[in-house]
Amino acid sequence: MKGALALLAPVPVRAAGLTAVAVALEWARVLALRTPQWQALTLLAGGLALCLLGVGRRPAELGLGRSRLLERLIGGVALAGILLLPAAVRWGGGPALAPEFAVAAAAVSVGEEIAFRGVVFAALEQAYGPAVAIAGSSAAWTAAHALSHPLPFLPAVAAAGLLLGAWRWAMRDLVGPIVGHVIADLAL
Amino acid sequence: MRVRLAVLAAAVVAYAVAAWAVAPGFYDGIAPPQPYRWVSPPPQFRNSNQQPQSGHQTVKVGATGKVDPASVFTQDGQAAIAFTTGAFVTPPDRSPVSIDLRPQVVFPDPGPTHLSTNVYCVSSSSPLAAGQQILVTLQYSDQLPAPADVYGYQGSGPWQKIGNTGTAAPFYISARSDTLGCFAAGYPANAAQTAQGPRVSGGQAVPIVVALAILVVVLAGIPLAVLRRRGAGDEDEEG
Repeated sequence: MKGALALLAPVPVRAAGLTAVAVALEWARVLALRTPQWQALTLLAGGLALCLLGVGRRPAELGLGRSRLLERLIGGVALAGILLLPAAVRWGGGPALAPEFAVAAAAVSVGEEIAFRGVVFAALEQAYGPAVAIAGSSAAWTAAHALSHPLPFLPAVAAAGLLLGAWRWAMRDLVGPIVGHVIADLAL
Repeated sequence: MRVRLAVLAAAVVAYAVAAWAVAPGFYDGIAPPQPYRWVSPPPQFRNSNQQPQSGHQTVKVGATGKVDPASVFTQDGQAAIAFTTGAFVTPPDRSPVSIDLRPQVVFPDPGPTHLSTNVYCVSSSSPLAAGQQILVTLQYSDQLPAPADVYGYQGSGPWQKIGNTGTAAPFYISARSDTLGCFAAGYPANAAQTAQGPRVSGGQAVPIVVALAILVVVLAGIPLAVLRRRGAGDEDEEG
């Protein structure tokens, strides 16, 4: 199936298609969340749907190899610290996340990393090289948040995308972004 | 590798600048809701405020002769009520029950309570049945301190604390009421004050997580990097 798809769709078309699917999945989740019912379940389903984009791909292709795992995990903790630092410095308290939402938020974080820094990044890198992969995956991730975040938040979202994408490229690693993203989402 | 580290460092700086420009910064797990629509916006939201919307729904009487269960929302999702089968008295002609949710411009003085949300009044064409309850859910602004409880009144008041059934979702608060009437979320006006305003609830996880992250990186990451570098050096010497 994967081979047939690869034959049918040239690499740039596949990259564009995967990007569009990832953004569409995020938008569908956000629109579904506008109904105040089943929010945790909707988040969980949205996260799992994004994870499905990674099915059938080699872990190494997505940056999920097992080598240097301890360093990757510590790198993820460092990324979380960087992501949270601007909020921590001026923290005035905020709502605590209910347990069911914590699980759902973690699923969304993992799904977003697998989809944007994993699948979309790999497809764009294969088609156009690393610079487009970092910029393109960040742009797609920002677009994915356009429906859920007020406009003033989007530059911070884009910058977070660039940071996580830069890590993905510099360290050839997706474990760090996943760990950092999950910790940041659970804390904030 | 130096180029990669330089790109990474530039990304860290770019992120710090962009995230500092908005509070609280990067915010993704549970997306901040659309800006809260105020009937009477606080000064900082006056320029961008949109008027809140009302909600209306008719609920039919089921085959069992009881009013069906339903959830009724305002069009902007800022207020909702939910109820189970038979919560409303069945009209004699078994006609559908009409339910309205409306934001209120004028309401009784809440006294020592600071209201964090608009006041929403719930009305219906048939009264709530004896012993039945509705679940009132109100959204509140992510830019202001979280409310502690839902408060309500009937007629011309007074306001009474209804309670808080627990967080249904971030930036939403719920409580069960055995009467219809008007509802808002708020907290005692004498709650502790901070530089940002009253702090009523909320975790302190963020500073703790950042402190722990720094500890982990310093205590584990740096020694690991040094060991790796030494290992690489030894290999070079052996080679």
